Amino acid sequence: MIWQTRRGDGVERSFEREIESLKLGQGETFYGEGILAVTKALLQSGVSYVGGYQGAPVSHLVDVMVQAKPLMQQLGVHVEPCTNEASAAAMLGASIMYPVRGAVTWKSIVGTNVAADALSNLASPGVMGGTLVIIGEDYGEGASVIQERSHAYAMKSAIWLMDPRPNLDTIVRCTQKAFELSEASNAPVMMELRIRACHVQGQFEASDNIAPKVSMRDVLQDPAPHLYDHLAHPPVTFAHEKRKYETRMPAARKFIAEHRLNELHEGARGDIGLIVQGGVHNALVRALSELGLADAAGNSDLPILTLNVVYPLVPDEILRFAKGKKALLVVEEGQPEYIEHEIGSILRRADLQVALSGKDVLPMAGEYRSEVLVEGVAAFLRHHQPSLDNRVPADGYAREVEALKQHARALLGAPVPPRPPGFCTGCPERPFFAALKLAKQEIGEVHYSADIGCHALATFAPFNFGNSILGYGMSLASNAGVASFQQKPPLAVMGDGGFWHNGLLSGVTSRLKNGGDGVLVIMKNGYSSATGTQDLISSPSADQKSRAAEQSATSGDSTIENALKGVGVKWLRTVHTYRVAEMRKTLTQAFTSSFKGLKVIVAEGECQLERQRRIKPLRAASLAAGKRVVRTRFGVDEETCTGDHSCMRLSGCPTLTVKTATDPLKTDPVAHVTNGCVGCGLCGELAHAATLCPSFWRAEIVSNPRPIDRLRARVRGLFTGLGAT
Amino acid sequence: MNAMTGQTLPLRILILALGGEGGGTLMNWIVSAARASGRRVQATSVPGVAQRTGATSYYIEIAPPGGTPILGLMPMPGRVDIVVASELVEAARALETGFVSPALTTLVASTNRVFATAEKIDMGDGRYASDRIIAAAGEMARQAHLHDLDAVARDNRTFISAALFGALAASGALPWDRETSASAIGQGRGAEASLRGFDAAYRTVTGASETAPPAPDPAPPASLQDFAGLPEDLRKVAELGHDRVCDFQDAKYGRLYLDRIRRIVVAADSADHKTASAMTEAARRLALWMAYEDVARVADLKTRPERFARIRRESQMTPDQLLRVTEYMKPRAEELADILPARLGRRIMVRVEKGKSFPGFGRGIHVRSNGVLGFWMLRAVAWLRRIRRRSLRYEREQAAIESWLDALCRSLPDSPDLAEALAALPRLRKGYSDTLERGCRAYARIFETLVVPALSGDPAGTAATDLRRAISAALADDSHARLDQALAGTQETPVPILKAKAAADAD
Repeated sequence: MIWQTRRGDGVERSFEREIESLKLGQGETFYGEGILAVTKALLQSGVSYVGGYQGAPVSHLVDVMVQAKPLMQQLGVHVEPCTNEASAAAMLGASIMYPVRGAVTWKSIVGTNVAADALSNLASPGVMGGTLVIIGEDYGEGASVIQERSHAYAMKSAIWLMDPRPNLDTIVRCTQKAFELSEASNAPVMMELRIRACHVQGQFEASDNIAPKVSMRDVLQDPAPHLYDHLAHPPVTFAHEKRKYETRMPAARKFIAEHRLNELHEGARGDIGLIVQGGVHNALVRALSELGLADAAGNSDLPILTLNVVYPLVPDEILRFAKGKKALLVVEEGQPEYIEHEIGSILRRADLQVALSGKDVLPMAGEYRSEVLVEGVAAFLRHHQPSLDNRVPADGYAREVEALKQHARALLGAPVPPRPPGFCTGCPERPFFAALKLAKQEIGEVHYSADIGCHALATFAPFNFGNSILGYGMSLASNAGVASFQQKPPLAVMGDGGFWHNGLLSGVTSRLKNGGDGVLVIMKNGYSSATGTQDLISSPSADQKSRAAEQSATSGDSTIENALKGVGVKWLRTVHTYRVAEMRKTLTQAFTSSFKGLKVIVAEGECQLERQRRIKPLRAASLAAGKRVVRTRFGVDEETCTGDHSCMRLSGCPTLTVKTATDPLKTDPVAHVTNGCVGCGLCGELAHAATLCPSFWRAEIVSNPRPIDRLRARVRGLFTGLGAT
Repeated sequence: MNAMTGQTLPLRILILALGGEGGGTLMNWIVSAARASGRRVQATSVPGVAQRTGATSYYIEIAPPGGTPILGLMPMPGRVDIVVASELVEAARALETGFVSPALTTLVASTNRVFATAEKIDMGDGRYASDRIIAAAGEMARQAHLHDLDAVARDNRTFISAALFGALAASGALPWDRETSASAIGQGRGAEASLRGFDAAYRTVTGASETAPPAPDPAPPASLQDFAGLPEDLRKVAELGHDRVCDFQDAKYGRLYLDRIRRIVVAADSADHKTASAMTEAARRLALWMAYEDVARVADLKTRPERFARIRRESQMTPDQLLRVTEYMKPRAEELADILPARLGRRIMVRVEKGKSFPGFGRGIHVRSNGVLGFWMLRAVAWLRRIRRRSLRYEREQAAIESWLDALCRSLPDSPDLAEALAALPRLRKGYSDTLERGCRAYARIFETLVVPALSGDPAGTAATDLRRAISAALADDSHARLDQALAGTQETPVPILKAKAAADAD
């Protein structure tokens, strides 16, 4: 049973309502988020297994399935939250030799990069059961990764790529058709969903879930026979390559055309046409409306060919669309322009004389928002449809928007301050970075290799740490070269998520094998926190959590330390992050140690999102039962605060902020702690460790005090003259 | 004209919020209400890691009844019907990015501020000007509903999402009635509080004026005879300052403050705007400087009964809850030397500079200030104010004050502009321990480099500007990198030195 591998169901969000909507049957209406509609479509397609690695914007797909344990068991669907994308992709190997449908998901481009080896080896032999990779294309506003296209992977491995129009009907239809396409052509299929499409709230008519024919409930008696032809191993790989283009691609094209996966929208002006990726269709229609060329229902004056399948293209479809037109505009988001190049080849090979436009009028890089498309389409029309000139005034919309922005800027007088994400209130990683800032006063500047995860938020003010980020779990590996020409050992920081994703292998074992110097800090907060606190192999067990109660539950687990010792780390310290002075000392020791080799500091402190989730019900229950409960919070004495804000430059806590001084003599704002304070203790630790200022106080507020508490309070009041405080 | 003004257009709503604030909840309520009113709706967001306290946005498109238009996923500048902002600077962000159009947009925004890190870490005052945002919003929006909805939410013990929804419903921009909105909140956990917040915000918007009136200035304190002839602003500040230094030491110290104010007033021979402003600023800085924060002052302030009452209030405590207060003190030998008689203090400082340690000092201690032991320990420290006049720090501060006053009085008649800049210079002397030492170092460097030469002549006439620039540079970062540049008159940024080159240079 896979459920035994999970040590708890620790996920930030609860999906009770969503799980109900996964049970909907024929004729009922599903309301909800795009990525959950995909999840429902998987169940409607009869998948046998689902895997994935968390990351925005697709985390919810696996999270909801993990929480929907009874439903998945009832259907017989195996769900596996994998330890990285490579392991998720490799899972698809089940469909090479068995007639089972499977789907996996991850965030792309980064996840596809990690999965690439397995994907190549999957695509070469091809598949028997339908396989689908759902990728969250993390591109444009809100993206957290480098800006590249997943399209290249589809082309190089002969994996078909879908890019559905962003409405739930189309997304669900494409998900279901993807399995059929995969089976009809024996090739895996990828479906890319942009961030906004994953999070889009919409509706579709549901159909019944289908229990898979072969599954954990209906097990096969015998494994598949040994067929060398299905191994990604020479010499059959040469035959695989031929089969991709001689058999599988023609079959795919036939299926795409027969099932009309791409959509043709006729238009009154038949002499020019637009070809667009499905995912960009809605933005294009909005741009055409702005130009007076489409109505709100999407009826356009210009013919549009919407590609819900962007790889492979169907040459006949393209040629039929192009015939009789004098110009085509390819609206293709991202770079380089793979689709435009392919359409160019199709037209040239058929010797069809049609002017081809695309990245010459549209920007090469960046998201295709409607305002970008308005300009690009207008430029295309001015050239190829001069008769429209009066309807497409040169830069009319762009000028209007620029005027709006200029007016606002003039009225505001100064640029609005940026507001990047930051550590949560009570985050146990914040104290580590405060300690590092203090330790730097002793050890000086060192090369800092940053990583992916919550700790990357330390790249922003007030910490401003980091010289490079080379990928998830890559920080230590990325300074192997740097270490060779630095006086001081370089510092690498990674999270426990990154450590298990690949940091242990590509970072730690490589450094140990080569004997290089360096300091590695592992943030042991217990979960994959940035993606929604999914469990890791080192996550505290339910038992450890209940024992920890309000304390940090991660101190009880030593999986990371054992792994490090097991591979041969000699210099290893575990320090609780809230012991700022001790952390500062340990950092200084690591950088001044005579030990030349890998020094690892495990910075331990449980993710506060998880800790608070545990504490809140405990406290509420105690309060309701009339039991004694102590709440802690911090505050600042306004009279002694001089308004220098040193504390904020070391903390960055959202609840430690400024306010106008009540004292009319003070012009600079003073420090202030809002009621969102969870009493984590960092303010006090910093006041001591940094010799900050005596303005901070800690209040312990005792609810439902016991008689002895009351007696003590009375004695205190009497002997201090303060009365009852 | 564009085609986007036709009747079949969807209603476009953009929500700007901070991660973790409930912007998603508000979006879901609007979506439910739209569905309940028989409209097709699509909504989306780009949360990502922005859910961790960063700025984030939600976008909703609502089709007209019965319509099935193509719904967009991205807001277009100048083409948004309703902008909802949960915080004032986020409203400014909507203005800056062109989403608020005078022709189209109803703006519903909360006027409360959640300061961004960039605003907080400024060593002076880095806060963005709220009044400019309010004025700009009034001008840029077709209709602006600006209220402190955070306060409404807090008063009703709910979240700002509920108050925003109530204000939005009251704005009249939603194409359905109030009941439809209210029912979308449902009966789940916390629904009762949400509805309370919704109602209160609804009333605030429909009942109140467009913008809340600014809070009136606190009443001026009772006037003292000493200040009778002074300009109004200066008189107010001098009164407050006098109270402050009397509270710090005694009435005699208060008279010293007044004597110094008189010196400034006598030195100024004109009553122009610059001179008046220089004198007021000087009176303010002088009071704060004279009431400097030594251990006796801190201990005194921490043991006053009204302080504990304030902590109870700030922590929203109920009468039956008990309070224990802990202070974080880390007195170093330097602080001990500061409060001891000057000669003794200097002896200690000699040892400190030699790097010798003092047992019991420089260690962090926790003091339970409303416990019997902690309270009386702090009172004992507060008692040290009786020997303050003979203390090392008193001697040091008074000498610095005198030379600043001399400079101020010399510059007032000739260059009120320079005097005004100079009056603000003591602003750098703030904080404790390292921060204070850094501030005093910056003060001394600026005084030596810019003020002293300017007093003996300022042929270029740039002394005041240079001084102001240096003050703001000193407040820009705590490494004094900007100050170094300002004092050197250069804008160079350091380049990393390669080890080989550094070694070659050393040879």
